[in-house]
Amino acid sequence: MTRKLEITGAWLLGFIWVMPLLYAVWTAFHPAEFATHFSLTAPLTLKNIESAWAAAPFARYFLNTTILVTLILVAQFTVCTPAAFAFARMNFPGRDIVFAIVLMQLMVMPDILLVANYRTMARLDLVDTILAIALPYLGSAFGIFLLRQTFRQVPQELDDAARLEGCSLAARIWRVYVPLARPTYLAYGLVSVSYHWNNFLWPLVITNSVTTRPVTVGLSVFASTDQGIDWSIITAATILTSAPLLVAFLLFQRQFVQSFMRAGIR
Amino acid sequence: MRSPHITRRTLLAGSAVLAAPSIVRAQAAAEIEFYFPVAVGGPITKIVDSYVADFMKENPAIKVKAVYAGSYTDTLTKAVTATKAGKGPQMAVVLSTDTFSLIDDDLIVPFDTLATTAEDKAWLASFYPAFLRNGLIGGHTWGIPFQRSTIVCYYNKDIFKAAGLDPEHAPDTWDQLTETMLKTTKRDGANTSIWGLEIPGDGFTYWLYQALAIQAGVELANAEGTKVFFNEPGCVDALQYWLDMSMKHKTHPQGIVAWGTAPRDFLEGKAAMIWHTTGNLTNIRTNAKFNFGVAQLPAMKRRGSPTGGGNFYLFKGASPAQQQASLTFMKWMTTPARAAQWGIDTGYVATRPDAWQTEAMKQYMAGFPAAAVARDQLQVAVPELSTHDNQRVAQSLTDELQAALTGSKAAKAALDDAQVKATRLLKPYAG
Repeated sequence: MTRKLEITGAWLLGFIWVMPLLYAVWTAFHPAEFATHFSLTAPLTLKNIESAWAAAPFARYFLNTTILVTLILVAQFTVCTPAAFAFARMNFPGRDIVFAIVLMQLMVMPDILLVANYRTMARLDLVDTILAIALPYLGSAFGIFLLRQTFRQVPQELDDAARLEGCSLAARIWRVYVPLARPTYLAYGLVSVSYHWNNFLWPLVITNSVTTRPVTVGLSVFASTDQGIDWSIITAATILTSAPLLVAFLLFQRQFVQSFMRAGIR
Repeated sequence: MRSPHITRRTLLAGSAVLAAPSIVRAQAAAEIEFYFPVAVGGPITKIVDSYVADFMKENPAIKVKAVYAGSYTDTLTKAVTATKAGKGPQMAVVLSTDTFSLIDDDLIVPFDTLATTAEDKAWLASFYPAFLRNGLIGGHTWGIPFQRSTIVCYYNKDIFKAAGLDPEHAPDTWDQLTETMLKTTKRDGANTSIWGLEIPGDGFTYWLYQALAIQAGVELANAEGTKVFFNEPGCVDALQYWLDMSMKHKTHPQGIVAWGTAPRDFLEGKAAMIWHTTGNLTNIRTNAKFNFGVAQLPAMKRRGSPTGGGNFYLFKGASPAQQQASLTFMKWMTTPARAAQWGIDTGYVATRPDAWQTEAMKQYMAGFPAAAVARDQLQVAVPELSTHDNQRVAQSLTDELQAALTGSKAAKAALDDAQVKATRLLKPYAG
């Protein structure tokens, strides 16, 4: 009985969650007259998608976002891995204090640093560049923390064995620790990509032109409400911008969920 | 990317400009950037782009870069952050109501300190006083009206005719409005197929509400922006009337009508009347498949609507050369001919009386008399609610209004709470 109730509850919540998406899909693929009329016989059309695509440079926005999330992800992995290893397995004076300082970064809301970050970018002459969007996020306290916890769980015996075989420090990280932490990398990568794909305020503030704006900012400056809204075009644009993440989620759903379970984060 | 060298050069050029006659001034190169609150890819972007291109053709010494920043709030966030970081735009169009906040944060420069010649002074005086008022603080002019609007009533003439009403005459008073709403609302059993009136209740809730309050004979704040009068009896009447439309007369949808969907409901014939910005005029004109009318808002004690929309502001941190260049650009953007064209292209209200005397405007009005309604309403317009710490004060009113609209608070209780919250926010400025 409780099981049935749980399943009904899950379906209900799922349905509520997916409603806006369903509405967006409906509106995006039907003519504007049917934006608020539901009729099964309504003609399907791709015109909204076409005009949204033509009205704003979404291709460029996609490119920008892709460059941005790739840049951030690669840099975060490169920076966080050695840092996490040092905190997990190396002994040096002041290690715990430095680690505590890194963790403190988790407590600081990025929004507070808006002006300070902007000033830094202005000084570096980087305002209105993709690098400027990425720069504040290249080192990640969360990533370091997560990887450190994972590295600490790697059995010391494996490390010792590798050392006996004559592995250098870098080779030990690369051949022993990184492969064993793959679920954590995957989970963290997903969190990072979806966060930066969706990030809005900082990119909005620091970018000024089409060549640097990511899709979120592009979509927001596309859908300004003062002039009256054409829901069909806006939902079409929304579907366009969220589709890649949605498709990726549907394709890799199992891996997504498993990696989150194994890494113990959500 | 601008390098420090260029900044220094423009600075030097700037000091030369102050002493030099105007012919030399035209040769000094200046690069200016302005933030504009408009949807990228919408029709307005193209209009502004063409203006900027024309301006640079006529003024080869000045380079203008327009940055389209989406909504007003996003534009303000961008401009404030960038200016505080020392790399702000030279100009931006943001809400006329943000003047107090911009002054309090020490981010903008008053125009009268720069525009000092007789010609400049005449330019400052050439706008509608109703539009200038939000930018007139402490004896200075801080904002130049540009993208300005008021609220008007759009009504569906076909629905009026079907309900036996005169399609050429929209309601003049609240009593007539109630009657018209009751006659035009159409029900099929439990469902309502046509609502008498829709007043949007999200996004700019306080703005729409201010129209009702003005009509009930009250002003929401003092001119110094240090005091609000949210719970005056007139204010309560105004809110009660809005609530009665839905709860008592059942002529207005229950709860909150979305700013973005009201025009769509109107265009689909689901609402006989809507109150909305004149900025929507072109949208409705293009998409309405029926006869529609535009009318001034009705009166209870008096007629009236708040003004709305954005002003040009001059930001601190611009070099003297850039300030002069920005001024040249603003003057160019607000000439009578261009103000008229801007009004015709967008539906925003042309900001100066002589713009309405131009040939282009006369022709436009001959074909589309409704365009003049907003101008005529300016006679009775009141500045939009604007105080110190404006975003938060307006938000406290909006929150409570929405609580009342959704039925979780009574009109008086909601406005009392809004008054308390706003007074607390304004305490540091009350002096």
